[in-house]
Amino acid sequence: MHISSTDLGLAARVQQLTKTYGTGDSAVRALDGVTIGIRRGEFTAIMGPSGSGKSTLMHVMAGLDAPTSGRAWLGDTEITGLTDLELTILRRRRVGFVFQAFNLVPTLDALGNILLPFDLDGRRPSALERARLDRLVDTLGLTSRLGHRPHQLSGGQQQRVAIARALATAPDVVFADEPTGNLDSRSGREVLRLLADASREHGQSIAMVTHDPVAASHADRVIVLGDGRIAADKPRQSAEEIAAFLLAGELSGSASAQVTA
Amino acid sequence: MSALALAERTDRMPRTAAPRGAFLRERGMGASILVAAISSAFGVILVSVTGYLAAILRADPYIGDSGTLAFVLSFLTVILVGVAVYVAGIVTANTFATVIAGRTRQIALLRLIGASARAQRQEVARQGLAVGVIGALAGLIVGTVVAAVGVAVGTELLGIEDVSYGVVTPELLVPAVIVALTTWVAAWAGSRRVLTVTPMQALGSAVEATRDEVTRRTGRNITSVALFAAGGALLAAGIVLGLVSPPGVAVAFLGGILSFTGIALGATLLMPPVLRLIGRLFGGSATARLAAENALRYPERSSRMAIGVVMGVTLVTMFAVAIESTKAVLTASAGGELPSEMATVLDTFAAVMMVLVAISAVIAAVGLVNLLTLGVVQRRRELGLLRALGLTAPQVRRVVLLEAAHLTIAALATGLVLGVAYGWAGAQSLLGSVPGDPSLPAGPTLVWPAVPFLPVLIVVAATAALTLIAAVTPTRLATRVAPVEALAE
Repeated sequence: MHISSTDLGLAARVQQLTKTYGTGDSAVRALDGVTIGIRRGEFTAIMGPSGSGKSTLMHVMAGLDAPTSGRAWLGDTEITGLTDLELTILRRRRVGFVFQAFNLVPTLDALGNILLPFDLDGRRPSALERARLDRLVDTLGLTSRLGHRPHQLSGGQQQRVAIARALATAPDVVFADEPTGNLDSRSGREVLRLLADASREHGQSIAMVTHDPVAASHADRVIVLGDGRIAADKPRQSAEEIAAFLLAGELSGSASAQVTA
Repeated sequence: MSALALAERTDRMPRTAAPRGAFLRERGMGASILVAAISSAFGVILVSVTGYLAAILRADPYIGDSGTLAFVLSFLTVILVGVAVYVAGIVTANTFATVIAGRTRQIALLRLIGASARAQRQEVARQGLAVGVIGALAGLIVGTVVAAVGVAVGTELLGIEDVSYGVVTPELLVPAVIVALTTWVAAWAGSRRVLTVTPMQALGSAVEATRDEVTRRTGRNITSVALFAAGGALLAAGIVLGLVSPPGVAVAFLGGILSFTGIALGATLLMPPVLRLIGRLFGGSATARLAAENALRYPERSSRMAIGVVMGVTLVTMFAVAIESTKAVLTASAGGELPSEMATVLDTFAAVMMVLVAISAVIAAVGLVNLLTLGVVQRRRELGLLRALGLTAPQVRRVVLLEAAHLTIAALATGLVLGVAYGWAGAQSLLGSVPGDPSLPAGPTLVWPAVPFLPVLIVVAATAALTLIAAVTPTRLATRVAPVEALAE
């Protein structure tokens, strides 16, 4: 019997995912048989120390990188095995990105950056999308900044423009890679609140990679990776709980020894 | 060793980590050597040809020792080599400025551990001198060989026996030395940015400088406008004078040199509006806008690069239009038909001059290829971002091609307009007093600018070819950018 992502209520999932860099003695196993799903409409945090494989997992799920073995789906589309062109079109139409830094094209103004996914697709936003864009720009407080270029915007404003762009097409999943990493704590909280709102009020599925327990505490679900494996999968946690868990993992030498989920 | 002594050592030897000469492998250095070599070889060949022609003239019993002709030949050589060296200087300064923009982090790190900005800049200038000397020597050797072969072949073909001309003369060193020194100066001029690098830029959190505003160089802009105005006035005076007598062309010539120097100096005033206009013609698609905005990201770099091509196109077009207009007037004044020997002489002269000035265009083209390549190399992160957001590989290709086309079309259009204007001004000032129609009473003639079809077609085709060639390497580099890798940088 075939079970689709939709049946499972998942926006994206991976199965037995392995990613190895290098060969022979110098080979590094970044992902080691990971099976996980991102639930639709939820704000999921993917945590773990540096080198735990969290970024690699995000890259494979978002169609930016190919796994060594295993399968990945975005919605009901299997993305492992797609060509570069197919993956590119898929990212353009069905994935949103918010990166840590260098999110915006410096030569385009804020509006140009927000509309980039539509422009790359060679189309104008439909009336429905137009309305969503207007609402987004308004909610994100960008109305008076649309004509500004990235270098004229603060870090927090740049990140909000990136969020507007990521949400503009109502993608299957928005992937956020350390979205608060370069921000002061106030702008950081603002960005996290906006992401949480998008998920809660508009059912946007979001997967956020972070190593900051405070950032992860805004999420509905916290997945912890260690040494390329899922070390924990927990519902909403407080920052203290997450920090305590991570610390325990650090002290015992390996997060995977602490599987308690 | 005290900290001070250590800092001083670091000052003197800022790049001890890399073996001497390793910088030559850096992207951009090869092109600078090529540019120096082309201009040096060009200079050497022209000096040889001038010397050879003078020797032939001296040996000719009918022409004898024609001082005037020899002077004209040397004068032309100086002008032609001067233009080539000037364009080469612009290209080199631009290349160094671009290379240094890419080295910012490395320079910042050295500043952080105590190297002074001045020492860093001197290091860059030293590299410029090395590049200049290597290129000039290569050009000297190649140029001498070509000249020797050319003289031998010429002597054989022309059947001249009583002319002995030794190619290897001390004068050949003159263009080579000039090129080496110009490259040195250009590297120094292009390295101004080193002084603005702060040690803070070595730290990861430093804000990325994404846009270069045109530095306001009021002094240079005023000089450029003044030169253009004075040159324009002289040009007009030459044209008016030419209505009475042919020597008006001398006044117009001076005006032409002055106004053209003004244009070259004022590249950053002239080119950005042209680039903006051409960019708009590309339309509103994402790829077109990305390409159009890229050319204006560093307006100074793009303008200087384009002006090199503009100079080449202008000079070629100018000779073509001037000769064609002259033929038209002479044909009319001869009563409808130009003597065929005269037509041949004029056409040959035009062809030779066009080939000679085209060398400057070739040098500018090398610079253009280099600028586009470095532009892609230094934009890896941005390309990675765009690929992540859904820019396909074919779209990347289109962006790079349009970017090249943007610069070349802007330069071509500007060069054609200027070339027609200067060519007409030359013909008008020379021939304004020649009666256009023998049946009418003598009076001032208005020369109609005649634009010859073939040379213009060749210029357009060459520019199109340049666009395609210029896009090859940057396209290869740009499509190889993997989003994950580039974003991790």
